[in-house]
Amino acid sequence: MLSFGFMQNALFVSLFISVLCPCIGVFLVLRRYSMIGDTLAHSSLAGITIGLLFNQNPVLGAFIFTSLCGALIEFLRRYFKKYTDLILTIVLALSVGTAITIISSGKLHTSADSFMFGSILTVTETDMVMVAVLSVISVLTLIFLYHQMVYIAYDEEAARVAGVKTELINYVFFVLVASAISVSIRIVGVLVLSSMIALPVATALQLEKGFKTTLIFSIIFSMIDIVSGLFISYYLNVAPGGFTALVSVFVLVAVMAGKKIRFREKRSSEA
Amino acid sequence: MIKAENLTFSYTGSGPFILDGLELFINDGEYVSVVGDNGCGKSTLIKLILRFLKPTRGSITTDAKKIGYVPQKSEASNSGFPITVWEMLNSYRRLLKIKDKSVVEESLKQLGLSEKAKSLMGNLSGGQAQKALIARALMGNPDLLILDEPSAGVDIDSQRDIYTFLKKLNIEKGVTIVSVEHNLDAAISNSTTIFHLHGGTGHFCTPKKYSEEYLGKDDSHA
Repeated sequence: MLSFGFMQNALFVSLFISVLCPCIGVFLVLRRYSMIGDTLAHSSLAGITIGLLFNQNPVLGAFIFTSLCGALIEFLRRYFKKYTDLILTIVLALSVGTAITIISSGKLHTSADSFMFGSILTVTETDMVMVAVLSVISVLTLIFLYHQMVYIAYDEEAARVAGVKTELINYVFFVLVASAISVSIRIVGVLVLSSMIALPVATALQLEKGFKTTLIFSIIFSMIDIVSGLFISYYLNVAPGGFTALVSVFVLVAVMAGKKIRFREKRSSEA
Repeated sequence: MIKAENLTFSYTGSGPFILDGLELFINDGEYVSVVGDNGCGKSTLIKLILRFLKPTRGSITTDAKKIGYVPQKSEASNSGFPITVWEMLNSYRRLLKIKDKSVVEESLKQLGLSEKAKSLMGNLSGGQAQKALIARALMGNPDLLILDEPSAGVDIDSQRDIYTFLKKLNIEKGVTIVSVEHNLDAAISNSTTIFHLHGGTGHFCTPKKYSEEYLGKDDSHA
C-alpha cells in the first residue's frame, strides 16, 4: 500500500495533522471552544473556494480566510459579550454563504467536493510543502507561547495580572487554529474536521493527568485515529475523513470503558 | 498604595452606577477588608484596582510595583482543567519571568502544600485549592495582595490557617492586603481597617467600630 506515491503523500500529511490538531485542540476544548473549531472548519471551505476561484493553492486560501474569520470571532467576542453564541452563527453565515455563492456560480474549474469529505488521492506536492511549513511554524509558536496559552485557558485574569497580553495572544491563537484546520482539510475533510481537533483531547482527558501528559496522550490518540483511519479507509475504499472520525469515537469509547472497568476493579479490591 | 477619586462605574456605561463617586485611600502596609451587601460592588472595586475594568468616571491608581491576586475560588477552580499544582505554579513562574525554579517549591512549602505538588488542582479540597492560589499570588514577592473572598468554600481549619498566614504576611513582610470579605468575623479579627461599601460609595472604619456600629457586638469580640 505504501508503495503508492499518493499513500506516501497522504501519510506524510496525516502525521503532521496528528501532531498539530491535538496541540491546538487541547486549548480549544479546555476553553470550551470546541464549536469554534466546527465554525472555522466551515470558514475553511469558503477559503478553499476563494483559492480555487483565483487559481491559487486552496490550502493557502483556506488558511488566510480562516485566520480572518478567527480574528473576527475574537473581535466579536468582545462586542457581543452577552450573546456569545451569536458570534458563531454570524461567522458561520458569512462562511457558508461565501462558499455556496462561489460554488453555485459555476466559475470554479475544479470541484470542491474532495475537501468536504477528505481524500487521499488529491494531496499534491505543493500541499505537502504548505502543510509542513504551516505545521512547523504553528508548533514552534505553540512551544514559544506554551505557558501563556496554558494560563489564558486556565485562568485568563491571573494571566493578565502577570502581564500577559491576552488579547494579542488570543488573536495569535486563532491564526494557529486556522493553520491546523487548513492543513487538515485535504485528508480529513471539512465535515468531520472539528471531531479530529476535539476527540483525541476528549480521549486523553479520560486519563485524568496533568496538562503536559494530557497533551502528549492527545497526540498519541490523534496518531492512532488518523493513521489507522487512513489505512483502513484505503482497504475499505471509503473517504478517510469519515472513517477517521469513526475510529476516534471508537477509541474514545474504548478508553472510557477501560476506565470504568479499572474503577470497578479498584473498588472491589478495596471492599 | 491605592487612591480612588470620584470613582464611578457601571457595566453599561450609564446609570444606575454600581460605584458612584467613591473616594478611597489605602496606605502601604495596611490590611483592608472590603465588606458590604451582595451586589454592592466589592468585586467590581477590586477589578477596577486590577485594571480589568475601566472607570466610567473618576480615577483609581496604585503605585504597587508587583500585585498578587487571589480570585474568587468559583472563578478560578475550573475543576475539570487537567493541571497539577506544580504545573499551575511553574507556568505562572514562567509568566513572571522568574528563572529560579526553586521558587515553586518554596511557595508550596510556605503554604504546606509540598505533598500535593503532583495532585490535580481539581482534586484538591476547597482549602488546599485556596492555599495553592495564594501560593501562586505570592510568587514574585508582591507588595500588594488582593483577595476576593478567600474563605469562600473553605473548611474552618483551613480558614484559620489562611487568615493566620495573611496576618503574618502583613505584619512581618509589610505586604499591603486588600480582601473582599463575606466572612465578617475574619474581617474584624484580622484586618487593620474595614472599608464598608454601601449605596455606590464607602467609608473606612476600625474593625472595633465596625463591630460595634454595624454588628452590634462589643469590642471583646475583636
